[in-house]
Amino acid sequence: MSSSHLIKIFIALAIGIALGLIYGWVIDPIEYVDVTPNILRQDYQVDYVLMTAEGFQHDFDSETAARKLAILGSESPAIITANALEYAIANNFTETEIQYLQTLLTAMQTYSP
Amino acid sequence: MTRNSTLHIILALLIGLGLGLAYSWFLSPVTYVDANPSILRADFKDQYRVVIAASYQSTQDLARARARLSLLGDADPIGALSAQAQRMLAAGESFEKVRPLAQLATDLQLGYVSNLNTPTPLPTSLNTPQVESTVGGTDTSPNVTEEAQGTSIPTLFFEQTPFVPTFSETITPRPVATSTLAFGAPFALVGQESFCEPSKPALMQLMFMDSRRNQVAGVEIIVTWNQGEDKFFTGFKPELGNGYADFVMQADTIYNIRIVTGGSFVPNISASICTEPNGFQYLGGVLLTFQQP
Repeated sequence: MSSSHLIKIFIALAIGIALGLIYGWVIDPIEYVDVTPNILRQDYQVDYVLMTAEGFQHDFDSETAARKLAILGSESPAIITANALEYAIANNFTETEIQYLQTLLTAMQTYSP
Repeated sequence: MTRNSTLHIILALLIGLGLGLAYSWFLSPVTYVDANPSILRADFKDQYRVVIAASYQSTQDLARARARLSLLGDADPIGALSAQAQRMLAAGESFEKVRPLAQLATDLQLGYVSNLNTPTPLPTSLNTPQVESTVGGTDTSPNVTEEAQGTSIPTLFFEQTPFVPTFSETITPRPVATSTLAFGAPFALVGQESFCEPSKPALMQLMFMDSRRNQVAGVEIIVTWNQGEDKFFTGFKPELGNGYADFVMQADTIYNIRIVTGGSFVPNISASICTEPNGFQYLGGVLLTFQQP
């Protein structure tokens, strides 16, 4: 087998790998279903925390709020709420929404399971 | 180029393609970091709906609740809410937990907020001059500064309590909101008619309306008979009406119906026998209509 033939085979191999990667990553990537909430986009996660804060305004039930927040990851409910509050302030959420988040943050910081 | 070398190149191309696919699908697949709620696992979607309904119960913002529900990608958001409410009831969850879901499903069906809430307002202006506290329980918390403006309010109808974060060991109990559903006067039985429909055999249908003939969701009904008891609520089949509930009867059984909400009692309800022209017999249904005076 000549060296030029070997080079052609390696080039073909490289083109095949490149095509495979393009197909697998771009054209038909693995579609995820049944994902967990911790990989939700940040704005969805913040909206989830905001909904929890809005619900908290109705029942003031810290345990229920903490349980709702727990699905967003392994961090404490207080840190999850604090991160959401930071995002809300940076993204010009309404005063009422920020107030709700602050109330929830206060409750989560004083909550012990 | 010989035929042999062409085959080698094609083979190399195919092997490369296989290696590329294996790497991109199995070894290093696309990692999702910015997922949207529509691909959440079913149980997390359920939790998402609960949170949306709880938020709606507080804010009464129907448009926002609808928009949030649409994120879940349900083909029929109202049906999904109703189905989840029924699943939760069947799993033994309390009606208080299920009610927000049923209420949201009902309001989405109606297109307006049917149960206006009057939440207890929190004091937004405090009489504590320039209270400034930095919230930050751990090092990783952002430094959030709350500043309470010292504006005295001449007259308030509730005891003024400064609402500032407190870090003492004694936690001030938060006010607990009570359910705001107010059903008013007791429901009275205003209609009772038997019907014969082979598609609805032995079906006891109950319909509840207020004094303005608007259907009422969330009415608790207890049906008892000599061997048992069943409890259910209106509003879990919004496609049939927000004040609708039903129950399947057995032959030769007398049922007593107690309306928990309002305290009405209707005894001696049973399924009648219906006969088709061809002689086929089956159990008929009964429609009971209740209304507030």
